Amino acid sequence: MDKPTDNLDYLDKADNLKTIETANENPSFFEHRGNRKNILVVFNFVLLAIGSLLILSPLWWMFATSLKTMAEVMSFPPSFWPEDWLFSNYIKTWEAAPFTRYTINTLTITILVVIGNVLSNSFIAYGFAKIPFRGKNILFAIVLATMMIPGFVTLIPQYVLFANLGWVNTYYPLIVPAFFGSAFNIFLLRQFYMTIPTELIEAAKMEGANHFYIWWKIGLPLTKPAIATVAIFSFNGAWNDFLGPLLYLNDENLYTLQIGLQVFKGQLSTQWNYLMAGSLLVLLPVILIFFFFQKYFIQGINLQSGGK
Amino acid sequence: MNKLKVFIILIAGLALILSGCSGFQTNNSGGDEAAVNEDGKTVVDFWTFWGSEIRRPIIEQIITDFNESQDEIEVKHTYLPFGDIWTKELAAIAAGDPPDVVINDINATALRGQKKQAMNLSKFLEEDDISKRFYPELWDATLYEGDSYGIPFNTDTRVLFYNKDAFKEAGLDPEKPPTTWAELEEYAAKLDKKAGSNYDRVGFYPLWGIGYDVWLLNANGQSYFDDQDNFEVDTAKNEEVLNWLKSWKDKYGEDVVNSYQAQIDSQQGHPFFTGDLAMIAQAPTFYTQIRDYAPDLNFGVIELPEYEEGNGNTSWGGGFVAEIPEGSKNSEAAWEFIKYLTDVEAQEYWAVKNFDNVANIEAAEAAAKSDEFTEDGTMVYEKAVENMEHTLLTPVPVIAPDFTSLINPNIDEFLLGSMTAKEALAKSQADVENLIEKNK
Repeated sequence: MDKPTDNLDYLDKADNLKTIETANENPSFFEHRGNRKNILVVFNFVLLAIGSLLILSPLWWMFATSLKTMAEVMSFPPSFWPEDWLFSNYIKTWEAAPFTRYTINTLTITILVVIGNVLSNSFIAYGFAKIPFRGKNILFAIVLATMMIPGFVTLIPQYVLFANLGWVNTYYPLIVPAFFGSAFNIFLLRQFYMTIPTELIEAAKMEGANHFYIWWKIGLPLTKPAIATVAIFSFNGAWNDFLGPLLYLNDENLYTLQIGLQVFKGQLSTQWNYLMAGSLLVLLPVILIFFFFQKYFIQGINLQSGGK
Repeated sequence: MNKLKVFIILIAGLALILSGCSGFQTNNSGGDEAAVNEDGKTVVDFWTFWGSEIRRPIIEQIITDFNESQDEIEVKHTYLPFGDIWTKELAAIAAGDPPDVVINDINATALRGQKKQAMNLSKFLEEDDISKRFYPELWDATLYEGDSYGIPFNTDTRVLFYNKDAFKEAGLDPEKPPTTWAELEEYAAKLDKKAGSNYDRVGFYPLWGIGYDVWLLNANGQSYFDDQDNFEVDTAKNEEVLNWLKSWKDKYGEDVVNSYQAQIDSQQGHPFFTGDLAMIAQAPTFYTQIRDYAPDLNFGVIELPEYEEGNGNTSWGGGFVAEIPEGSKNSEAAWEFIKYLTDVEAQEYWAVKNFDNVANIEAAEAAAKSDEFTEDGTMVYEKAVENMEHTLLTPVPVIAPDFTSLINPNIDEFLLGSMTAKEALAKSQADVENLIEKNK
């Protein structure tokens, strides 16, 4: 205990905190290099803990609201801790609309969109990064330029197009575009492919492999981190998409979770407790994905900022 | 290559399975033919934003009653979220495959008529003039160049709610609520309960619940546009009204106003329910929240006070219409359904079950006598129906649909103190005139 260590175990640090309090009168305490380091670690730890509590507080607020009665939600001052923990709110929420149906629908769309995005973007990006052809740069510039067009501008023309194909009230308009690449993902993956040495590709070519085979056997495995990023972003995008399903789906049996949640929001009043319960349930997969794939999330963000 | 083959087979298999799911069956039956179901009935596609636990069963009951009342037409209800429903409607109209009946904002009906989004209903009205069913103010709001483009469904108005117990405590007669702006100020001052720099109870603040525009309407007895579409906002009276509004803000101070506003906006802990606010201007449906969240509140309700005696208790209202989008293939059947939807029986049912103001006069008056309401409910509903005679709508002018977005920032600047009332009004006048000129 008296001997300061460089051990990073936080439990020890908590004990050291006491030492620090009592050691303040002793000037030699701070002169010790290890102690100073410990103070810093403890300080960081406390700061981070406070920071995460602050960031988690809205989530707690959601959770607390989801367990209250509407009368308690409306009371003032608002209660931080729910009076009764009404877990039955979750059951009522789930029964307020066919949420099981909506979950299956949302999953179907999301999974296909993720598959589509991963395959198409990776394939296209490989071409832009590794295959020399005439007008490549101009074509790439055009692809990037599509990022400049705001979605709302293309909303109606796109709807008219899909309506003429007879695709309104089907999942096709939500899924098929994912199989044709998107500028941002192409850009992201192209940057990643650029880091793969061309010699590798050339060596494979000498062995008689064609580009499709190289992409499948070498490109895909080597770009796993970037592909994971694309997969995660397209999962979130498809899972949270509201406008797409809203525009294209007419049959309530085909609705997705995001549309389902709107049931609790009326023109005049909102059922906050059910809305929060529903939102938490819908948020759950996104949080789980974040927990399991944190590493790729961070990498993805680095890739983005690094690329720009 | 083996892996690739497996993969392709997997994808193909998935595609096969999915093509069996309903979400993957394309439907090309749209065409120009009217949609007909197995029983040979014409299907009317009806879009509303009434999906809540309370509203959905009510509208679906009305639809069931209609479907059972005849054997030619079947109405199919689709719920879509409030606000977004009209984005979707617009896309569907552009694609030429719209629904047959949609509930839409009454104030922009003329605009949708002008833009050919809603169908001109005059051909139906010639055969079947139902215009007399509704409050004239509502009917007029549906007209563009003399033709109607939507049939009024429901409406609302603005009234003053006040806390009777607070009145007694402040030595005021709870049966004599304020009737003029001067009295409003006098009463509010008596109802205020100051605690240091803060308030235990605020008497009244005019901009909680309703906007500055309602007070301008109340003072002027008419909107910014006259019958000839002349726009006028820069007047001495309006300047006085704005300064009056500002004087309230100066009285209570920025902090009090903002913290109360936050409570009201969050819908969590409304100060009127807790007795921290003695009076508030609101729509009559505010009563349903009192009923549910503050059932013991002893309150009264009265029309908005008048600018000065004899000026009139002008109030503001909105509402919704049932319209047939341009391009609907079943407009005849849609019209039959709209007639049913806005007739006395359906309207009264909606009014009583929802505690909502309806557009049909006979239904509204019958609902006020309903024995399903409590004493408080009847009091509020009767006042709401009565108040319709003072209630004006402010239909969006076709010559300058978006004009309020030019006025609002100026009024905000004025309330924040960076402009005088005169400056804000003069700038608004110039900006809007400029817009009208550009749109000509």
